[in-house]
Amino acid sequence: MIDNGFEPKILAFCCNWCSYAGADLAGVSRLQMPPNLRVIRVMCSGRVSVEWVIKAFSSGMDGVMVLGCHIGDCHYIDGNHRTKKRFVLLGKLLGALGIEPDRLCLDWVSASEGQKFQDVVTKFTSRVKELGPNPIVAA
Amino acid sequence: MADVRVGVFICHCGTNIGGVVDVPSVVEYARALPNVIYAENNLYTCSEGGLASIREKIAEHNLNRVVVAACTPRTHEPLFKNTCEDAGLNRYLFEFVNIREHCSWIHMHAKDDATEKAKQLVAMGVAKVQWLQPQQEYEGDVLKASAVIGGGIAGMTSALSLANQGYEVHLIEREKELGGLVKSVNRLFPTNVDADKVITPIIEKAKANKNIRLHMPAELKDVKGFIGDFDVTIYENGADNVIKVGTIIVATGAQELKPDGFYNYGKMDNVVTQLDLEGKLKQDKKWIDDLAGVTMINCVGCRIPERTYCSRFCCITAIKNAWILREANPKAKVVVLHRDLMAYGVEFEEYYRKAMEAGVLFLRYNLDKPPQIIGKEKPEKIKIHDELTDSHLELPCDMVVLTTPLVSARDNEAVSKMLKVPLGDGMFFLEAHLKLRPVEFATDGVYVAGSARWPVDITESISQGYAAAAKAAIPMSSGKIKVEAITSFVNIGECIACGTCVLACPFNAISVVDTDGKMHAQVNEAMCKGCGTCVATCPSGAIQQKGCTDQQILCMIETLAGGL
Amino acid sequence: MDKKPVLVVGGGIAGIQASIDLGSMGYKVYLVEKTAAIGGRMAQLDKTFPTNDCSICILAPKMIECARHENVELVTYAELQEVEPDGSGGYKVKILRKPRYVDIDKCTGCEECIEKCPIKADNEFNQKLDKRKAIYIPFAQAVPRKAVIDADICRYITQQKCGLCKKVCQAEAIDFDQKEEILEIDAGAVVLATGFDLYDISAMREYGYGQIKDVITAMQFERLICASGPSHGHLERPSDGEIPKSLAFIQCVGSRDQINNPYCSSVCCMHATKEAILANEHYPHLKPHIFYTDMRAVGKRFQDYVTRAHDQYNVEYVRSRPSKIVEDEETGNPVIYYEDTVSQTVKKKEFEMVVLCQALIPSVSHQELAKVLGVSLDSCGFITVPDKLFNPVDTDKEGIFACGFCQSPQDIPDSVVQASGCAARVAEYLAEVS
Repeated sequence: MIDNGFEPKILAFCCNWCSYAGADLAGVSRLQMPPNLRVIRVMCSGRVSVEWVIKAFSSGMDGVMVLGCHIGDCHYIDGNHRTKKRFVLLGKLLGALGIEPDRLCLDWVSASEGQKFQDVVTKFTSRVKELGPNPIVAA
Repeated sequence: MADVRVGVFICHCGTNIGGVVDVPSVVEYARALPNVIYAENNLYTCSEGGLASIREKIAEHNLNRVVVAACTPRTHEPLFKNTCEDAGLNRYLFEFVNIREHCSWIHMHAKDDATEKAKQLVAMGVAKVQWLQPQQEYEGDVLKASAVIGGGIAGMTSALSLANQGYEVHLIEREKELGGLVKSVNRLFPTNVDADKVITPIIEKAKANKNIRLHMPAELKDVKGFIGDFDVTIYENGADNVIKVGTIIVATGAQELKPDGFYNYGKMDNVVTQLDLEGKLKQDKKWIDDLAGVTMINCVGCRIPERTYCSRFCCITAIKNAWILREANPKAKVVVLHRDLMAYGVEFEEYYRKAMEAGVLFLRYNLDKPPQIIGKEKPEKIKIHDELTDSHLELPCDMVVLTTPLVSARDNEAVSKMLKVPLGDGMFFLEAHLKLRPVEFATDGVYVAGSARWPVDITESISQGYAAAAKAAIPMSSGKIKVEAITSFVNIGECIACGTCVLACPFNAISVVDTDGKMHAQVNEAMCKGCGTCVATCPSGAIQQKGCTDQQILCMIETLAGGL
Repeated sequence: MDKKPVLVVGGGIAGIQASIDLGSMGYKVYLVEKTAAIGGRMAQLDKTFPTNDCSICILAPKMIECARHENVELVTYAELQEVEPDGSGGYKVKILRKPRYVDIDKCTGCEECIEKCPIKADNEFNQKLDKRKAIYIPFAQAVPRKAVIDADICRYITQQKCGLCKKVCQAEAIDFDQKEEILEIDAGAVVLATGFDLYDISAMREYGYGQIKDVITAMQFERLICASGPSHGHLERPSDGEIPKSLAFIQCVGSRDQINNPYCSSVCCMHATKEAILANEHYPHLKPHIFYTDMRAVGKRFQDYVTRAHDQYNVEYVRSRPSKIVEDEETGNPVIYYEDTVSQTVKKKEFEMVVLCQALIPSVSHQELAKVLGVSLDSCGFITVPDKLFNPVDTDKEGIFACGFCQSPQDIPDSVVQASGCAARVAEYLAEVS
């Protein structure tokens, strides 16, 4: 991870059945991660509103992650399909606001993928670090 | 907010949290947060001592919100919620903050950062808890009556099981007699017992059981309602009849594929299906003595590109009938042509071996070089390509039996629409989860058993019949269903009745209704699973989720951003 | 009507499902499990066919639901000791609770004790591919997530030395004075769900298991490919830790033969296909070969799964039953000898790793269980179901029912169906005898 003195603020929405459990497993396995991440638990990634992500960025978060169940494994059948579709809209909205697409991450982490959770978080934090502070707040 | 009084309990978890996070400083920090009246730390908040402390402090400080910062909510949330309830506080006025799995355990060498993170997470939890509202869990009544649609072996099993458990059962059968496909069968593997001898007593029991109301013949016309309260309309005796039940079991079975276009079926005499053969075997058997040879061709019309599945028990049906013919006429050349012999398990494997020992010939063929029937009006010989040795042989054959799959019943589509349950591969009913919920639907209160779901043999149909009965008995046993209060709710004034939420809901829990002239969405709490997908899709913010409203989450985000 | 409690023996997916169903029907359930945690075989799998669901991800919510159910009491690390009919259709049962030497009411699962323990042993959960400590939690997602001490190797228990775990445990949960306990219950009915064990194929010397390093069992493969397993999901060869460049599966090892087990274990064709798919998914260079006799893909969506394996995941199905595996003198790799039936010649092919799909046998605990309960076992050791055709879950003793692999080889959905089926039968039975 580059050391440019900038510590990004990262918010992640994790679904109860898969990614939150995967994060728990990462914890149980003591997989170390950069301390920039704050997790908000939801029952389904399909609950994550566009408004939340916009609010996060406009309030000063440097990176936002939405982590759900793998497609086909959603506890609520197809909630994550909607998440995936919503992301297309989100990407466009954020682009219009001047927020780089790499600041938003959508990924699928199952309850047994503690290692993947660590990987995804570490890589994302690193990328956001490279990007520097959120442009709309710094401006 | 009117008089919110928050209590915060921060756990050391031995040294698991305390060894990394400076818990006392987090407690200090928590005390200074808005509306926090009381904060303490515990060595193990989940211990008897910790729980007792929560109860005491709720009483002592008149707390009306509680935040626990400890391990993962996935383990102990119910424990702490129960504790709040014991102290007289509504269990939904509680928030759990994870500072172990998500903090101390993953930042073991960054203690200052971990402490800072813990503070922020606690602040977010405290911010959210203020917006939580007391909730009552929805409790619905469940009628202790069930409708079983289909009077075959699976349906009769479900009906009898529920009746024996004391429930009222309405058994609805379209034909004039019970028994379904089994009635057409001669003998049953793996014991070769006479089918009639065994199925007749079951039919008699179903007819005689005082808890079973038999509707036969009757046609399913319409289904309204939801778990606990279904209105099932059937057409019986020339009129519509509405039956009120709490649960429904779908046991509508399947039908044998008639292999038109395959191997001269319908064009040549003595080219029959296994079910045709069963019928012939049920009558007189003298014709077997005249047979020079019988060849059974397995996987006709299945395991092909147009219909890829395996129908599970047809191999064993072919083995059974081949063995019966061979035993009746040891001189006949009895051959089973297969593309994998599906004799799985203990009894079937043994049955296969015994059939081989009795002289039934098993040969492997493939679709590139299918067998050819030689004959004019009926088969006289058959030319076979043996896949394993890549050689050809010609055998005497005066009867060809085509082993065809079960395909879905003709009115599955109509039934699926009436019940609002989905169809999947092959137009068979689609269960809630293929592995762990095979006899349930995503829609509560409706269950499925037998070949309506996928081709299965009698033993498996019966097992599924029992399983569906157990699932139906669950809500009926208490006569109530209780739903965790994380369901969605609609602000009628803001709703524009666009119907987007109705489409978004995976469980058909939302509908658009008219209340005093205003059209709006309405959530059926009995069916809502609390995923929140509808909330995120609503364009006007009119629908919200209890315990996860936009306001609650947005204030968490604001707190996080503000406190940095 | 006072409902009598129900005893469920075996905490795998079948036992868990039966317990949840019976508990939800209002019966008090005692779920007895001989190991320290429920979960059974399903907890050891990486993914499940044909959906490729992560096994523990779909199992964990059921385990938690079962453990938390107000009507279900987990009795782990315990075995049935005595069962006597009580004269009114039920059974007086004595359950022996083995001492964990850990107070589960105090243990928080923090694992500080495990970190400090100096004694190691083969990790059964990971099929002996790695080690665990004398004090251990069976697996990461175990329910209950509480420690247990292996009394046979614990230094304190055997030699009165060490005791480090007790020193570091802040919850004061270690109790070396813990004794066996007998729990007596008067059960209205019993459900057996004791599952299966893995046939010991080391005696089948023709396949070289235990001699040739890179010949492993299917269950070992599952643990290797699993992200939470001993190699974190990396398919590392036991010999050198490298990823194999070639991979083969052999079906029916110890099944469908006259010497070992005559029956078909029912699920191996499918789990081999699954494992081959996972292997190619992880390592696209791999062209897994499956040597099979009949490809038994009979369940819902199974046939499509096999087709996908072949079409999309480079899996090659070879219809042949290999006769032996020999170690290549130079490379040390396993070499499979098999007959090509068309040319009628014996061929051989070297692979860098060979997976033996071993026979799945009824749980070895059945012999003891049958004596205690008085139920019959068939010649293969499965719990006898006298009328399998029309009473598929009734044993030969009234009030005792059996579901899942313990009574016949079957996969997860069938086991779950039978488990619910037992719940219905128990309810009928209790209504009948009352």
